[in-house]
Amino acid sequence: MKTLHLGIRNLRRNARRSLTTLLSIAFGFAAVALFSGYTREVYRGLTEQAVHGELIGHLNLTRRGMKQEGRLHPERYLLRPDEITRITALVHQQYPGALVAPRLALSGLASNGRVSTIFLADGVGAEAMRQLRGPRFHGSGGLAENAPQGVTVARGLASLLGLRPGDDASLLVSTLHGQANAADATILDTYGTGNAGLEDKALFLPLAMAQSLYDAPDRADRLTILLPDIAQTAAARARLASACAAAGLDLEISTWQEESAFYRQVKGMFDMIFSFILAIVLTIVVMSVANAMGMSVVERTREIGTLRAIGLRRSGVVRLFVTEALLLVVLGCLAGMLLTLLVRAGVNAAALSYTPPNGTGRVLLRVGLDPGKLLFTTGVLSLLGLLAALFPARRAARQPVTDSLAHV
Amino acid sequence: MTTPLFQLSGIHRRFALGETTVHALRGVDLTIACGESVAIWGPSGSGKSTLLNLLGLLDSPDQGSLRFKGEDVHALSDDARTDCRNRQIGFVFQSFNLVPVLTAEENVMLPLQIQGLAPRVIRQRAGEWLARVGLEAFAQFRPDKLSGGQRQRVAIARALVTGPALVLADEPTANLDSANSLAVVDLLQQLNAETGVTCVFATHDPRLLAHVPRHVQLVDGRIDSDRHAHQPQETLA
Repeated sequence: MKTLHLGIRNLRRNARRSLTTLLSIAFGFAAVALFSGYTREVYRGLTEQAVHGELIGHLNLTRRGMKQEGRLHPERYLLRPDEITRITALVHQQYPGALVAPRLALSGLASNGRVSTIFLADGVGAEAMRQLRGPRFHGSGGLAENAPQGVTVARGLASLLGLRPGDDASLLVSTLHGQANAADATILDTYGTGNAGLEDKALFLPLAMAQSLYDAPDRADRLTILLPDIAQTAAARARLASACAAAGLDLEISTWQEESAFYRQVKGMFDMIFSFILAIVLTIVVMSVANAMGMSVVERTREIGTLRAIGLRRSGVVRLFVTEALLLVVLGCLAGMLLTLLVRAGVNAAALSYTPPNGTGRVLLRVGLDPGKLLFTTGVLSLLGLLAALFPARRAARQPVTDSLAHV
Repeated sequence: MTTPLFQLSGIHRRFALGETTVHALRGVDLTIACGESVAIWGPSGSGKSTLLNLLGLLDSPDQGSLRFKGEDVHALSDDARTDCRNRQIGFVFQSFNLVPVLTAEENVMLPLQIQGLAPRVIRQRAGEWLARVGLEAFAQFRPDKLSGGQRQRVAIARALVTGPALVLADEPTANLDSANSLAVVDLLQQLNAETGVTCVFATHDPRLLAHVPRHVQLVDGRIDSDRHAHQPQETLA
């Protein structure tokens, strides 16, 4: 029997009911698709901010225990030049195109000569910084090879101290051995951190200047690795961990997701909201399909009896109703996809902007497409639509043929 | 001696109706030979439809033996009985029971599509049977565009398109006017004569009875009389 053909005809027979069910699926699908598209853009922005904005890179290597004890015993945990050389060679052996950037974090007081405020600084080579900034390398806030004392400060910090590019400032830190040390710095540029908590504290300075201030020549507290492709991150961590262990290097390797608490928190929150929306949509779809199929079964009881009488097996009856439910879900998803594309185009064309939580500036509201989640949603909707139709279909198929034929 | 198409012995069928049990058939013995044309008649509630449901393998007896072409159908699985209905039995219902979303041709094609025959063969056979019942011009009409008589003729074409051994017609003229009733009865008798298909009617329509050679009268779930039209009426009880 042409089940699909009959299914389409039956859906058209109850056009209003089919349309209502189809629209509920379409709107539900569009809600999920638009939200997942929005979160995809947010994740993309947060990823870029973490990897290239905060210069976290893809992987960070530290001596084991550095994160817990490093501040108390820096001498013990800073990487030595020979270790840096060996690790760099190991990384290049596994990933020839990767960047390995030694880093050294500092904190202290920054002064304009009249007032001081605390700063959190990161020492990094100018060329390494340019590469780490990736697509943002043209933006403000870079270091320069020919400016060994040139620093770049967060806009909030610059504003706090009244500093502008070209101005001089003093940086006062505590050295590796606990002594005070100071250096003059020239403000090369200012930049936005994108993080309200860091905006009035952060600055970048050349690695050599940081090592000099900290009295730790050629040493680093971590190595930041930028892989040729971000998708290699998890695999690279595993490969490098075993390579380092085999080389006798006791290191901890963390990914950019682990280093960026903000990314993890936002992603966790959005993933939770997505699950919540998906659960609501799935409930609506299951109820809509079950209701439509349930009513259809009742209305077509005698027809089912006739089909059974002329030789349609129970499985054929189930197949008929399941096909109708799947048709509804697939057409609903297609209509939902169309709706998604229309709304997405409208939102993106409107160029709406908003200030995200903990953000320092407005960002564009962009809606992308997340093919993975769309496929997942379509699959789950189809599966649940099938299950929602299965119960009334089985009930119809198992009804005695004589009862079905006698149904009024 | 050839095997009869149906052999029923000691058939009982009861239905629970709320707190009470309705004894619809009370020990029916009946043999129907291949190619016969039989009318089962009697008043409402006499058990005609119940007997027809059993003959159509739509229902099972509570007691007794029912053999179709010598095979005990009680032992068959639901799928086997369903397949047997599809290939061996055609149904003509009082309310026609056509699928409303399908055209006349598609309704006739249904039993063959269930068999999984090639589309070309299906269409050809459906066309032949629609022509045979005089409805080739209405092949693409849906049931709601056909008259009662035309719908019943489509149902007859659907019942016969698989070349069954038996056609069961439950009150086939009940919803038709006199002219259409006669046309349908004549058509069924003609097909019985031409194809040799066994026809069993449940009816209390005297117009139909007059055209059927064998009359089996049911009263209160028992066979009251079983006679051929040319024989004088003989009460069994």
